[in-house]
Amino acid sequence: MAGSNEINANESKTVVPLNTWVLISNFKLAYNMLRRPDGTFDRHLAEFLDRKVTANVAPVNGVVSFDVLIDRPTSLLARIYRPAPATASAAVALLPDLCRSPSPDPFPVIIFFHGGSFAHSSSNSAIYDSLCRRFVSLCGAVVVSVNYRRAPEHKYPCAYDDGWAALRWVSGEPWLRSGKDAKLRVFLAGDSSGGNIAHHVAVRAAKSGVEVSGNVLLNPMFGGNRRTESEKRLDRKYFVTIEDRDWYWKAYLPEGADRDHPACNPFGPNGAKLEGLPFTGSLVVVAGLDLVQDWQLAYAQGLKEAGHSVKLVYREQATIGFYLLPNTDHFYQVMDEINDFVGSNL
Amino acid sequence: MKREHQDAVDGGGSWHPEAAAMEDEKGKGTMGAEEDGGDDELLAALGYKVRSSEMADVAQKLEQLEKAMGSSTAANDDALVSHLASDTVHYNPSDIATWVDNILWELNASPTPLAPRPPSPPPPPPPAVPLQNHHHQRHFDLPLAGPEQSTITTVDLPTAPRRLADNYDPKPLPAPHAAAGRIVYGSDAQSVVAPSPRDRKRMKVCSSPPSSSSTTDAAKSDKALPVVVVDTQEAGIRLVHALMACAEAVQQESLKAADALMKQITVLNTSQGGAMRKVAGYFAEALTRRIYRPQPHRGVGCSSRDSAALDNILHQHFYESSPYLKFAHFTANQAILEAFAGCRRVHVVDFGMRQGLQWPALLQALALRPGGPPAFRLTGIGPPQPAHSGALQEVGWKLAQLAGTIRIDFRYRGLVAASLADLEPHMLLDPNTGDYSDGGEDEEPEAVAVNSVFELHGLLARPGALEKVLGTVRAVQPRIVTVVEQEANHNGGTFVERFTEALHYYSTMFDSLEGGALAADAACGGGRRDQGLSEAYLGRQICNVVSCEGVERTERHEALAQWRARMGRAGFDPVAIGSNAFKQASMLLALFAGGDGYRVEEKEGCLTLGWHTRPLIATSAWRVAASAGGDPIAAAAA
Repeated sequence: MAGSNEINANESKTVVPLNTWVLISNFKLAYNMLRRPDGTFDRHLAEFLDRKVTANVAPVNGVVSFDVLIDRPTSLLARIYRPAPATASAAVALLPDLCRSPSPDPFPVIIFFHGGSFAHSSSNSAIYDSLCRRFVSLCGAVVVSVNYRRAPEHKYPCAYDDGWAALRWVSGEPWLRSGKDAKLRVFLAGDSSGGNIAHHVAVRAAKSGVEVSGNVLLNPMFGGNRRTESEKRLDRKYFVTIEDRDWYWKAYLPEGADRDHPACNPFGPNGAKLEGLPFTGSLVVVAGLDLVQDWQLAYAQGLKEAGHSVKLVYREQATIGFYLLPNTDHFYQVMDEINDFVGSNL
Repeated sequence: MKREHQDAVDGGGSWHPEAAAMEDEKGKGTMGAEEDGGDDELLAALGYKVRSSEMADVAQKLEQLEKAMGSSTAANDDALVSHLASDTVHYNPSDIATWVDNILWELNASPTPLAPRPPSPPPPPPPAVPLQNHHHQRHFDLPLAGPEQSTITTVDLPTAPRRLADNYDPKPLPAPHAAAGRIVYGSDAQSVVAPSPRDRKRMKVCSSPPSSSSTTDAAKSDKALPVVVVDTQEAGIRLVHALMACAEAVQQESLKAADALMKQITVLNTSQGGAMRKVAGYFAEALTRRIYRPQPHRGVGCSSRDSAALDNILHQHFYESSPYLKFAHFTANQAILEAFAGCRRVHVVDFGMRQGLQWPALLQALALRPGGPPAFRLTGIGPPQPAHSGALQEVGWKLAQLAGTIRIDFRYRGLVAASLADLEPHMLLDPNTGDYSDGGEDEEPEAVAVNSVFELHGLLARPGALEKVLGTVRAVQPRIVTVVEQEANHNGGTFVERFTEALHYYSTMFDSLEGGALAADAACGGGRRDQGLSEAYLGRQICNVVSCEGVERTERHEALAQWRARMGRAGFDPVAIGSNAFKQASMLLALFAGGDGYRVEEKEGCLTLGWHTRPLIATSAWRVAASAGGDPIAAAAA
């Protein structure tokens, strides 16, 4: 057992920069301590260990952020990121300045769902604050990062309900509309569990006649009962294990459900049919060293077969979390893909 | 926060495994980590401090830890991993190297706790002092002069618990304050039973000197203005806008414009509801004072010094209606408890004694600790009170009674001081040293804790005062210094910047009180009255921040980064507060009605309590820097 651990460590070390390896390994070991065998989660320790940052209305690299309480009963918060507004005086931006359109020309509004396998992280986690700021600079977007309720305390469908609440809120903010037609150009984006949430919120949007300009799914979290080839081949090799995936699904899915539940396996035996729905176009990014890639590829295929637009970006030597640090080709090229996708669907 | 310009070394972002491997061998980090000895910039941006030159070492430690944790499939490894989560105390996760070291140390430590200390011997016979001295306050001189009186007067309460019971038949002290009863100290008995080597190890492990990037963090933190919008009603937005515009007019001394805006504010305020209206009301009032300040008593009504009795009442209500003070006391007590582990004689110096609300809980925790309580000495410092109010010694008396019921050898001294800067080290010395030694037994030196809850920022109103106080603190060689301060910058920049910061800060605080009062009202009534008095408590702070200047402006709150720098310059090193205090504080909050929005966060060894995502108060702990050598009293005098 010890021997195979050594091999694993060496393998993952050769495919990512050292500081990335330190970051992701640190998460992995911390997360191992938080998941209890009985299915409960050490939430206090999780919050203690998570590195958080406050919002900041003072511009940093041209981006400001502020938190909004979208729904008081559920304490649903979202962090809004936007290009620094021009202010009347030299003083710090006031709310009227913050809630004014950044541009008369069309700009994207990206509703972002952070990852963490439904259990970890928050919208004020440093890793996601950093990523959202980058999206603003990249696309001139207003980013709305949703602090959705997490498992195991809040199971399916809480995260999806919170996502839907965020979309409704965004739809009601006049300053988020742009262009001559004063239209909301909203994209749903997310990594890991966030990607899963983006999909399901998009389905609800399609069914409700709410127009979404595009979905951006980074290493989205999907699964199923069957053990796929990639899961077996890559298990324990690149920071992620089948066992931890199983634990997180069990924590999120309803009591007694298995992984063919449609939340987990949207194109599986229990999945809803998407043919004929005005489902949005998707950019799906898959990392070649992510053990759930077979499910992600099946997802992309499922969308295609249902007649919906998919752009698949497959990064062969990328691991999970490659988008957290700007230190590889994967990072920069995927950012370019996202920018192209958003720009062409604006 | 962002380091977009910190691109890969070879500029294009390309990265090749072979090149990385070579860099690994050199012991350097890879992309974005340019300097030797500096922290890796990319990880720093994500909240982790790892020196680039140590990246490979840290990686190795992580591998070691993973090996030690094993796979989570084996049954015995499950137990190990769950031990790591629930029994291990974690410290300072930003410093990955130290965090991992700490866990590895835990894993390698003996699994069986050391045998507890033998039960403590019965308390020493009461001091051979005539009985009536228990009642007379020796060395006590009631000052009748005004608030600027700076003489130090002392109240000494030596106590012998049994004597008290025999002669004064005190009624049993009412249960210590409700919050104290809810605090569960049982689970941290483990940390208390820990032998001192473990404690030394922890304190050693947390004393890594600040890295070079800490100053950058400070610079960033200085500028951070977190905003949580809880109310996007149109009227609320216009009200804030008008307040800001008025503040700007005041700064530019356009008094006519300010006056016109003030009228607008009054109108807007009537249509506003809830927390926003109340906050706006206090800010508007403060602005009015500033515009129309009656000469010469500009700051009258804004300083807590003006009416100490009223201040204490408001303080008491604030304590009861919101968790901020309870959190402050709880987290500070936790750090003190840990620092006192294994000590048989302890001395706590409280910079702001007031009603002594913090101390019953600590006394109870000490009484419960395995091995028995230490001999406990408390020095309570308070401002001059109006004529004949013996508040400071009365508090000591009540605590003595409590200590008696739980059999703690307790002594109390009250020090009346107009300013903490009037303190001299000799005033904090044990007045009875040498009087009661039992036939040659070597007395262990006192372990000292200095505790300051919202008392340091006031010193910033007079140049040099803080430095003098910190010098005095160092001179008594404390094992731990606990500091709680508002997490805000209300002391820098222009008037408008200060006004803006304060507006956001107090809006968030008032919003949190709103939630708490609703729940308290539903539970037992009286929530609303407490809330009003709590708002008045905060309202005085607002008044001081906005309408006062110079020495009268005592509410000079500064954020953690600034306090870190000040404490560092004064010769103190941080002592990290760990995950056990964090967990217990979080659980305390969950019990607190209306607690849904309250959040505890850990930030580089300190704990903050905030409302939603905005930290509002911060608890930090300190010890005298190891590198500080020489005679501390001489150094303090320098």
